[in-house]
Amino acid sequence: MPTITFSFDDLCRLTGQKLDEKKLTYLLDCAKAELESKFTEEMSVKYNDTNQPYLWSVEGLARLFKGALGREKGIPKVKTEKILGRVFVDKRLAKIRPYIACFAATGRKIDDYLLKQLIQLQEKLAENFGRKRQKISVGLYPLQKVSFPLFFKGALPSEKFTPLDFHEPMTLRQVLDRHPKGREYGHIIQNSPVYPVFMDSKKEILSLAPVINSEQTGRVQVGDDAVLFDTTGMDEESVNLVANIFAHVFADRGFKIWPLAIEYGRRKVVTPSFENHKMKLREEDVDKLLGVRLKQSEIKAALERARCDYSAGQVTIPSYRNDIMHVVDVIEDVAIMYGYDNLEPLPLTTYTVGGTFPIQNFIDSWRDLWVGLGHQEVMSPVLSNKELLYDKMSVSDFGTVEILNPMSKTYSCVRTWILPVLLDVLSKNKHVDYPQKLFEEGVISIRGKDVQDEHHFAAASCHASASFTELKQAVDNVMRMSQLSYQIQECDVKCFVPGRAAEVIVNKKRVGFFGEIHPAVLEKFGMNLPVAGCEINLSALF
Amino acid sequence: MDIKKLAESLHPYERRVLPVLAERQYLPDLCSASGLKEVEVVRALQWLQGKKAVIVETAPKEIIVLDKNGERYVKEGLPERRFLEAIKDKEFPLNKIGEKAKLSTEELNICIGLLRQKSAVIILKDKELKVKVTDQGKRLMSSEFLEEKFLRRKFPREVASLSKEEKFVLEQLRKRKQIVRVDVEKIKKATLTDIGKKLIAMGVRDVNVVDTITSQVIQSGEWKNKSFRRYDISFDVPRIYCGKKQPYHVFLDWVRQKFTSLGFEEMGGPLVESDFWNMDALFMPQFHSARDIHDAYYVKEPKFGNLDERIVKRVQAAHEHGVNGSSGWKYDFDVERTHRQLLRTQGTACSARMLASKNLKIPGKYFGITRVFRHDVIDATHLPDFNQTEGIVVEEGLNFRHLVGLLKMFAREFAGAEEIRVVPGYFPFTEPSAELYAKHPQLGWIELGGAGIFRPEVVQPLLGKNISVLAWGLGIDRIGMLKLGIKDIRSLFSHDISVLRDTPVV
Repeated sequence: MPTITFSFDDLCRLTGQKLDEKKLTYLLDCAKAELESKFTEEMSVKYNDTNQPYLWSVEGLARLFKGALGREKGIPKVKTEKILGRVFVDKRLAKIRPYIACFAATGRKIDDYLLKQLIQLQEKLAENFGRKRQKISVGLYPLQKVSFPLFFKGALPSEKFTPLDFHEPMTLRQVLDRHPKGREYGHIIQNSPVYPVFMDSKKEILSLAPVINSEQTGRVQVGDDAVLFDTTGMDEESVNLVANIFAHVFADRGFKIWPLAIEYGRRKVVTPSFENHKMKLREEDVDKLLGVRLKQSEIKAALERARCDYSAGQVTIPSYRNDIMHVVDVIEDVAIMYGYDNLEPLPLTTYTVGGTFPIQNFIDSWRDLWVGLGHQEVMSPVLSNKELLYDKMSVSDFGTVEILNPMSKTYSCVRTWILPVLLDVLSKNKHVDYPQKLFEEGVISIRGKDVQDEHHFAAASCHASASFTELKQAVDNVMRMSQLSYQIQECDVKCFVPGRAAEVIVNKKRVGFFGEIHPAVLEKFGMNLPVAGCEINLSALF
Repeated sequence: MDIKKLAESLHPYERRVLPVLAERQYLPDLCSASGLKEVEVVRALQWLQGKKAVIVETAPKEIIVLDKNGERYVKEGLPERRFLEAIKDKEFPLNKIGEKAKLSTEELNICIGLLRQKSAVIILKDKELKVKVTDQGKRLMSSEFLEEKFLRRKFPREVASLSKEEKFVLEQLRKRKQIVRVDVEKIKKATLTDIGKKLIAMGVRDVNVVDTITSQVIQSGEWKNKSFRRYDISFDVPRIYCGKKQPYHVFLDWVRQKFTSLGFEEMGGPLVESDFWNMDALFMPQFHSARDIHDAYYVKEPKFGNLDERIVKRVQAAHEHGVNGSSGWKYDFDVERTHRQLLRTQGTACSARMLASKNLKIPGKYFGITRVFRHDVIDATHLPDFNQTEGIVVEEGLNFRHLVGLLKMFAREFAGAEEIRVVPGYFPFTEPSAELYAKHPQLGWIELGGAGIFRPEVVQPLLGKNISVLAWGLGIDRIGMLKLGIKDIRSLFSHDISVLRDTPVV
């Protein structure tokens, strides 16, 4: 989830009024964001909605706040200057990095704070929205060092320029290998026959997209008052969106916006596009989703506070937003600005019959019976490890779901049975009063051809005279109480003493086993009292 | 208690020990005189003490006993005496004293050190080393040494009975090898009190008392002419532990029961889930940042699972170009990736499965208490796997106000909260989305969960049509932890048996 940091005074200045903490909380709710830091001059805000990149700047927040507070209404108007120049896009980039959007912004001095804000937005957009620059990346250049027209073209890896923070020219290939940013982002273009470069009319490389700007022409500094902006990427919609977001940020700061003409061969576009989207929105759509019959004027007022326009059943969404996929998205904006608090709760009135899984009652009856037999229930994580499940139990793997990327060895697979977990619990409680009698009921997963979940039940009894007889009595009692007839058969599971373990057979199928734990196993658990235990597959019994 | 009742409450052991106490005090004597085992006498004394019939002391006693060398010196004389005797007449070569006085080298060295310290001898350096007794030495010899006087006494002796001078001598002797030894003995000593004396006077040897009520006692009717021994009911008994359900499981049982009582039916799904049900079916784009490998546990084998490909196609269409008027996410859906298997990261996967199930009832209310897995470092707030509670309400014509009504009911039923706040939230699968805060009577405002109305892009591909589906998830673990009085989430799965035993049931 993206987080940004900014000055609270700056936010208030941009919003046009002093905010208190309560008001700020309300406004952040509208932005689906929350204060990450304390309520201080320098503050951090975290966005829960990962889908609204236009809000990831203090300017973007203030723009929404002005609407929510009623200080401004509807889509903000940005006055643009004349087209400043042309950008020619090389056909050879069609499969490498086909799209670019550019504009220039002039007329305000960039101070240290603003420069940091611009870089912060640039990074959030390129990293989060741009998927680590794969989808889009962003560049800023001091305008006075650039001569028009500009070229976005494919360059051979052997061409040279001096990347930021370096002093010698190097080949593009070398930039990918040696520059820290090259090593981080070079993989995006590494295998292309040509690399995308942004170049001016003097053949000066401004940047290698999406990796790094030029040291000579690609470093914006405090005091600059005219910048060139570019964003390159894999789809036109995204580069236009990012250009629109940035253009509004500059406009909010009082910069003049100078569009550029982008020429893809014969096709020409002007960026920033400032192209707003339109969508039909009827009163009954709002009523259906929110349960309130709002008047056209009320819908209009709410949407204008959300910085949209509304007239004649049609909503216009500003060009810097990409989070509207369906009319329900717009209706949520209506709801937020109308106020969730103003939507009176309605009770559910339809009668439905509640119930649990049929097996749940069976499981609970087993839990009750074993409690009656004096066993303490335990509950454990479902994740476990093969050393515990097999090595310590002297048995071999019988089909385990293993984790590809475990966080720790202790939790590196899904448990396949529960008895080992109970032995583990016993081994950690040697200082506690005996007799210790435990049981656990829970899900296990077995990997055969497919993966199968089963409800298992395990019990263990540990004290000076724990024995086969004790477990046989207990299992017999519980089986009789469950009205289950069963047979007993010799069991060769290696965790038990040979000749002191039994399989439980129901309908000719093995459903579990019980017996005296082998001292060789007890030794591995560091136990020095006898243990008798059982493991029963409840799913097979029900 | 009056003395008669007290007499009636005497155990057979007490009855045998009491009379003996009139003449004897020490435990070994009591054992031999009563004919009981030591453990039996000890218990009898313990009980008698409880009845204030005796005073039992167990203060440690320091006892001096003669050691190996001590016993020998008593017979043969102290080495220093023998040393002086051997050389009292003239200067004597050092290397020959041992032989003459029958002293070991070790004893010899001790003697020289000791006697020089007392200025009883001097060492002369001639061709060879010689030893001469001084006048002081001769004076010493003329009377009994303090050590000799000490050893002459009868042992064992109690340290407590020594005079100041004797204590000093004892310390000196203890520094030397195996002359005397001080043993600490804990001998129990019992002294009768007035009550004890009265009991004896009453004749505790009474045989007309029934002790344990055995089958034989009942059948024979012998009890009819006897009285029953009274028990000391205040006596501490060893603890026992009943079988009990696990406290967190009991809490989950309560949650389950609550949902069913509110008309919700339980739903579920497998632990090993596919990308499809876990995320794709919920309209989370495959490039979503929360879908990083670092956030979920993927499984080694089987890497891919089986899916109903007709549903996959419908979900794919929703992602690529949208359904029901949606623009979709506009990217190429990776069909292989949707089959990839991972450990379920969210219970909402079960809601997606329920929507696509042919068993779905409309109208219907569903809940799931589901085990989910997150790729987190385990600490006081993170477990490798934990339970989520969530569900859906499916009914034509439900809207956001019904959702708020539902959340209000949950807040009341699960958190005892009458006041709630519903604020805008974000989930990829709901629109509108909301976060629920509830004013808990003890915790104050807490985040209780998230909710929303499923997007048409979720409902339509799974259900075949778009109808209202309210979806919600509740963070009931917070309430569970409060109910169980725990602060560390790891305690939910506590493996400490004493904690599990001692957690009260209410």
